[in-house]
Amino acid sequence: MSDSAAAPAVLQALDLHKTYFMGGAELRVLRGASMELRAGEVAALRGASGSGKSTLLHLLGLLDRLDEGEVAFNGRPTRRLSQSARARLRASTIGFVFQQFQLLPELSALENVLVPRRLACGMSWFRRRGLERANARALLGTVGLSDRLGHRPGQLSGGEQQRVAIARALISRPAALLADEPTGSLDRKAGAEVLELLLELAQENHTAVLLTTHDPEIAARCSRVLHLEEGRVRQE
Amino acid sequence: MSLLHLAWCYFRSRALLAMSALAIALGVAVLFAVLAVVNGFLAQVESTIRDFSGDAVVAAIPERLAPEAELQDYLDALEAVEGLESQQPRLNYYGLIGRRGARAIDDPRTTDLSGLLLVGLDRLPEGMKRLQADPQLEAVAFGPEEVPPGAILVGKVLAAKAGVGVGDSLMVISFKRGSQGYPVPVQTSFRVEAVFTTGRYDHDIDRAIVRREDLALMIGDGLGFNEIGLRGRPGLAPEQLADRAEAALLAAGLKQKGWPMLVSTWRAQGGNFLRAVENQKGILSAVFFCIVLVAAYQLVATLALTVTEKRRDIGVLGALGAAPGRIVTFFVSLGLVIAAVGSALGLLIGTWLTANLEWVQDRIFGERIFNAETYIFDHVPVAVDWSSVLILLGATLGAALVFSFLPAWLAARLNIVDALRR
Repeated sequence: MSDSAAAPAVLQALDLHKTYFMGGAELRVLRGASMELRAGEVAALRGASGSGKSTLLHLLGLLDRLDEGEVAFNGRPTRRLSQSARARLRASTIGFVFQQFQLLPELSALENVLVPRRLACGMSWFRRRGLERANARALLGTVGLSDRLGHRPGQLSGGEQQRVAIARALISRPAALLADEPTGSLDRKAGAEVLELLLELAQENHTAVLLTTHDPEIAARCSRVLHLEEGRVRQE
Repeated sequence: MSLLHLAWCYFRSRALLAMSALAIALGVAVLFAVLAVVNGFLAQVESTIRDFSGDAVVAAIPERLAPEAELQDYLDALEAVEGLESQQPRLNYYGLIGRRGARAIDDPRTTDLSGLLLVGLDRLPEGMKRLQADPQLEAVAFGPEEVPPGAILVGKVLAAKAGVGVGDSLMVISFKRGSQGYPVPVQTSFRVEAVFTTGRYDHDIDRAIVRREDLALMIGDGLGFNEIGLRGRPGLAPEQLADRAEAALLAAGLKQKGWPMLVSTWRAQGGNFLRAVENQKGILSAVFFCIVLVAAYQLVATLALTVTEKRRDIGVLGALGAAPGRIVTFFVSLGLVIAAVGSALGLLIGTWLTANLEWVQDRIFGERIFNAETYIFDHVPVAVDWSSVLILLGATLGAALVFSFLPAWLAARLNIVDALRR
């Protein structure tokens, strides 16, 4: 805790605004949300359904465009970056874990884990692929799937799929990991195991983690709890 | 794990994409087979014309008989031509034969006469094959032999038409110039020495070979020639040989001596016919390539459907760091994978089709759609021109590239968040 408090901010969100227009109606989801995440810190983001947790996560992950405000990674503002530059930043700096795992069904576990590296490496992939494959194998071994490397998502249980997704999110050693209800689709036991793994690996990699959850037990495991209410972030 | 590998994984797992590849395969296979048959046809025509006529011909103009006394001058001048392998004087003349058992050939009421080209030669030309007594056995090539005196060698269709075989005597009627300048019919009996085939129906139906001396005696103009066939060494273009021969004749002062002589190549002799076949080849290629284009065009629909079905995956790729350009590359790669698999399959089917064309005709059509009377040859000639095949493959992949671009662009424009929510 004290380590992360002294660490520099990896991710900063300043006065974020996001409004959706649905059937002519204006839906102001974020109204000046601000927050920051430091290296090695694990924060939980709580809020009622429809409060904008996923929207905030998408904006922090550069998946969507802001109406107003700024998101900065390691002090570097991102608002004016091109689509390609944002994609490069996602590949190199941000890891995602989704509630529904979002693995590519045609690829094996090993191949799914390698996708972010393939996207991040560009042409150097062909020089590095042996090393990258070894890293991916090792990471899948760490999440307990060394005997499932060639299995496709459809051949894995929900807990195993989420482990693959965690390995995929961490393969590039991202500065920040954004997890949208990572245990939401799992039973209690599998959820607890996956959360344990996620926190352990994030700590090992000194990765800043922001995860959304409704579960107070999960929130209690995090170093900080943030609440999203009326479009603003409030610290517990 | 490259984008191409991911495209391959997509291709493997979706039957719709395989159907697209199959459509391309069928188009490529048909075009491959059509090109192989047309190329085979052209190659066969070229080969038979060349074998029978030589690479180039020095011919008297108009078709008059040059006296034998001048022959040696021509042969000597042409002998010096660089790259010349052999030369042979020829005496061509027209004649008639009657069907065996028909009324006397000189009976003016007879209608069973067939016209033929009597080719007077000293030695047998290349490219002819002797039919064997047992029709089940394949024809064999003649050796380098002289045409025997009193003998006639008859094309196989002509022999069948006249009802003659080896050892039979065959009465041939021709005309010689009478004392008043009018043609006078003459007839000579020859012994059928062999029945030959050139592989070309139109040659086998109207050609007979006799000894040049015998033909000269028959038409009564004294020994002479109206053509000299030239054969060049392998690798020497017929046009080059003809140019050199013409230069040699000019240098020797023979081109205008006695009868003007024209030097032409076998290609020029069959020029119109060959050009017509080349034109047909071009038209057929264009028509059948349109089929390949239509097959490639359905990639637009197939890939657009794939983009719709795979929105979530596109969102995932975007979230993991795929820039719009990468998404375009991925879907274009998918289009290329489909086209490449389709083309490879098409080549295999096309190769099998061309190798088993006779069998396919028998099984599918129940009869030979290529018959000798119509198509000159008694079999379907096939020759694969790999440079054409490479162009076909390049054009197919190019079309796939173009047609994949629109769905790829649509995929790249997807909003990542919307795509992930599906």
